[in-house]
Amino acid sequence: MGLREYIIRRLLLLIPIMFGVVILIFAVLQFVDPIQRVTLYLRNPRQFAPEVINRYIHIYGLDQPVWVQFYNWLVSIFEGNFGFSAYYKEMVLPGLLARVPATLEIVIFAAPLIILVGIWLGVESAVRKDKAFDQVTRIFSILGTSLPSFFFGVILSAIFIAQLKWVSAGRLTPTLSTELSLLKSSHHWTTYTGLLTVDSLLHLRLDIFVDALKHLALPVLVLVFIQTAVLVRVTRSSMLEALSKTYITAAKAKGLTNNEVIYKHARRNALIPVVTISGLLVGGMMTGLIITETVFLFPGIGQWAATAAQNFDVSVVVVYAMFSAAVFVLANLIVDVLYAYIDPRIRLG
Amino acid sequence: MEDQQSVVQIKDLYLNFYTYDGVVRALDGITLNVRKGEILGLVGETGSGKSVTSLAVLSIVIPPGRIEKGQIEISLKGKTYDLLSLNDATMARVRGRYISMIFQEPRAALNPVYTIGDQIAEVFFHHRKAELVESAIAQLKKDLEKASGLKRAIYRRELSIYHRMQNNPKSLILRISSKIPLVKRFQNRMKNAARKYIVDMLKSLNIPDPGRVIDMYPHELSGGMAQRAVIAMALCANPLMLIADEPTTNLDVTVQAQILLLIKDLQRRLHTSILYVTHDLGVIAETCDRVAVLYAGNVAEIANVMDLFKKPSHPYTQALLESIPRPGQKFVSIRGTVPSLVDPPKGCRFYDRCDYAMDRCVHEEPELIEIEKDHFVSCHLHYGGK
Amino acid sequence: MTSAKQTGNFRKRIQPTIKEARFMLSRLFKSPLSVAGLVLISYNIILAVFAPVIAPNTSGVRQYDQYMIPRDQSLGFWIQPSPPTSGHILGTTSMQVDLFYGCVWGTRFAFQLGLEVIVSTLTIGLILGMISGYYGGFIDEVIMRFTDIILAFPGLILAMVFVAVLGKAGWSTLQAAIFSIILIGWPGYTRLIRGEVLRVRGEDYVEAARAAGASDLRIMARHILPNSIYSVIIVASLDFGSIVLTAAALSFLGLGSPPGYADWGRLIFDGVPFSGSGLTYWWTFVYPGIFIVLFTLGWNLLGDALRDVLDPLSRRK
Repeated sequence: MGLREYIIRRLLLLIPIMFGVVILIFAVLQFVDPIQRVTLYLRNPRQFAPEVINRYIHIYGLDQPVWVQFYNWLVSIFEGNFGFSAYYKEMVLPGLLARVPATLEIVIFAAPLIILVGIWLGVESAVRKDKAFDQVTRIFSILGTSLPSFFFGVILSAIFIAQLKWVSAGRLTPTLSTELSLLKSSHHWTTYTGLLTVDSLLHLRLDIFVDALKHLALPVLVLVFIQTAVLVRVTRSSMLEALSKTYITAAKAKGLTNNEVIYKHARRNALIPVVTISGLLVGGMMTGLIITETVFLFPGIGQWAATAAQNFDVSVVVVYAMFSAAVFVLANLIVDVLYAYIDPRIRLG
Repeated sequence: MEDQQSVVQIKDLYLNFYTYDGVVRALDGITLNVRKGEILGLVGETGSGKSVTSLAVLSIVIPPGRIEKGQIEISLKGKTYDLLSLNDATMARVRGRYISMIFQEPRAALNPVYTIGDQIAEVFFHHRKAELVESAIAQLKKDLEKASGLKRAIYRRELSIYHRMQNNPKSLILRISSKIPLVKRFQNRMKNAARKYIVDMLKSLNIPDPGRVIDMYPHELSGGMAQRAVIAMALCANPLMLIADEPTTNLDVTVQAQILLLIKDLQRRLHTSILYVTHDLGVIAETCDRVAVLYAGNVAEIANVMDLFKKPSHPYTQALLESIPRPGQKFVSIRGTVPSLVDPPKGCRFYDRCDYAMDRCVHEEPELIEIEKDHFVSCHLHYGGK
Repeated sequence: MTSAKQTGNFRKRIQPTIKEARFMLSRLFKSPLSVAGLVLISYNIILAVFAPVIAPNTSGVRQYDQYMIPRDQSLGFWIQPSPPTSGHILGTTSMQVDLFYGCVWGTRFAFQLGLEVIVSTLTIGLILGMISGYYGGFIDEVIMRFTDIILAFPGLILAMVFVAVLGKAGWSTLQAAIFSIILIGWPGYTRLIRGEVLRVRGEDYVEAARAAGASDLRIMARHILPNSIYSVIIVASLDFGSIVLTAAALSFLGLGSPPGYADWGRLIFDGVPFSGSGLTYWWTFVYPGIFIVLFTLGWNLLGDALRDVLDPLSRRK
């Protein structure tokens, strides 16, 4: 089966999976009885008398048979109506979209660091197996997989935010944050990307740029620390496996320099299994973001969903779950295609 | 055993493996030599140390293995060099160029993510770069005459780069410009030149449709084709000696015969010496000029093929020959097992399996002595009379 | 009826397994890291088993749920946590909840929760995995689609959804949390066991058993199960640590144990407001965290060691 057929097949598989996801979410929603579900649509359900609530149940079709409800629900999703958040008192979809840039900003800084540092550490510690470099890296990676991200985050927050007061919680220092809101409301600030680092440079506000970076440091650090530990372990064992293969001895026997043997021959092969697990890394990052954003009060989608969950705001959590599933499935798809592409044994069958 | 005709001479080589379970004394004073233009067979069972010896010659023994003492001398243009005294960088210039190696499982010896052509070209770029540069320059000069305008200017620049490569191959500018994406395209000429050489090589090895094979990946080839490709890699720099580590063991019998013929033919044409490592006595009989028999890290016997099969002098050799299955005869095997090399016996290592064992054999290790012209044995049986 | 011959046969059959076990244990004790892991886990087990002795309820108030940390009445209802003293070795957190009790019983709670989850996920995984792998066909497809759907969500997130929904529907958050962790856990085991079943199914001895007329159940129990067990053991041991970590994470987000519960994640959650004062009330979040690390570290080290030991390639060097 050639590469093109493989891609098409995987894309087609996406559809039933996403459909299944949607069905699962809907089934989950059925757990909550109609009275509570109608509160998803109303701003303040307590002030309504029971008959009024019943009327609303009828209006929103919550007393219809399951399949009719499902159909209505799907239609509303396609129209872009993802429901109303009782906790945040706003429509869910705009709420999600408004907070995506903040999370994206963390990811943009964290992801390259994780990949570069993780692979480099993994490869080098395999090359220098059992030497000092390797021992230290292994300690670091064992620590990273055993240290809960929230514990690490809380400690960093206590030290750097509360005790030493180097940065505040959130995305910007309060004074700058208020200034930014004022600028936005008086139309002196156009949100080009939503990324504070980029936008501040575009507005030539170096102070905001630096401040945004300072506030990104801690969340990015926590995320990178935890995820890199995982990546280092996988890369290291994959590289060790590659280095033990016969073709490495053969390459040395050809007279290639040590560097060529390691970086041209071994590493290429070692990275193949690493690509496979990077889909899981994406999932790990999304989970890690929830916790990291909550700890540092960073206003991204992770914190948005976590706070909503604490207050049993089902509509928000459900939409966040669908969003994450979509991203995760897509990431895995890209990873699978990439894997099939770079390994000639798979590409050419 | 000083030998004027030697290409490679191993003198008193000791090699240990440092493992969790103890120190494995894998090679216990190996002495042998490979002469110019001959095929020396290195025969022994698993664990005898034959594979590790070949790795030692190229200094690519994998840790936890370590060469303890000894010398491995190569005779190059009248001078002798001890390979074990060279640092890794210098040794890398020897590998593939003066001594090269082919392996047991051909598709495992090839990197699965690079094409055959790429991997053979690596050897060219390492060891025959000067030729590639010359070819590139020759081609470039031809293109220069035909070109005009912008192309002419580009070709002139390319020519100056190549001249620089000839005169000052390690220059910094060259190293930098070979990494920059668009600029490094000048190397394409050398790649094309290499390609021509490679196609010719593959053709001479009886690989059909070499133009296509050159762009294939190892997993797309059959065992026989892959082994030919590996042979091409090993021989393209015209080495003095080729080490063949059981190259036909994993192949079909018919393919095995083809490869053996190929090796003999190449050896005849290129006058390459070959160290042929195997456990198969039949291959030895067919292919080799001389044979060295290894047992448990020691050399038991060295002789030319005729003498070995007609007058085997070491009890182990005799037992080996007897154990070859013959139709109509009962199946004979050598009693006992190979001794543990972690705690090897003090005297002769073959003692407990030997039918002629004497008291002397328990305490004293036998030395390798010449019992007739070019016939060496290490066994106390042959001390008498000396 | 067991005749003497049958017991004799049993002993003979068990011999190689005992030898294997001895060999594995000796390998386990060789590496310092795996010894460290074993020490940590033993320490955790001791804490968990002897919690009532190590951290007894001295408040004089009867407990409905042993995991609800008893408060020290003598210190009153102050919200401010008290520092470590002789009475409260690790200090107290908000509302004078004793941290020592919390952390020690937290170990017990972690084991209890972990065991509940592992047993459930393993059981579901074994049953579904064997059915799916052995019978194949339509039922295999159906089960695989279910696992696909659940595995389409990154772990914690689906758990969050279920806790939120079930919480809204009236479940206690703790019950919802346990349910959710089991829910996100069983697909992994199902797939793993299915894979092993598929691998073993093609072996000759299974064919032989089938030819001899053995029933499906018998084949599955006596042939397939014992041969697929190794990788399951490795995965389960590594998973134990991550299950407890996930539960702690849920509790940290307020989606697990109720307030005042002996759950490390919950204790850190309760300690977060005090982290706003810097390191003044450090014991409220540092101690529970240390307990978590000691637990997870032990399991990770053990899992690594088990993987090295059971990996057929690195044995018999």
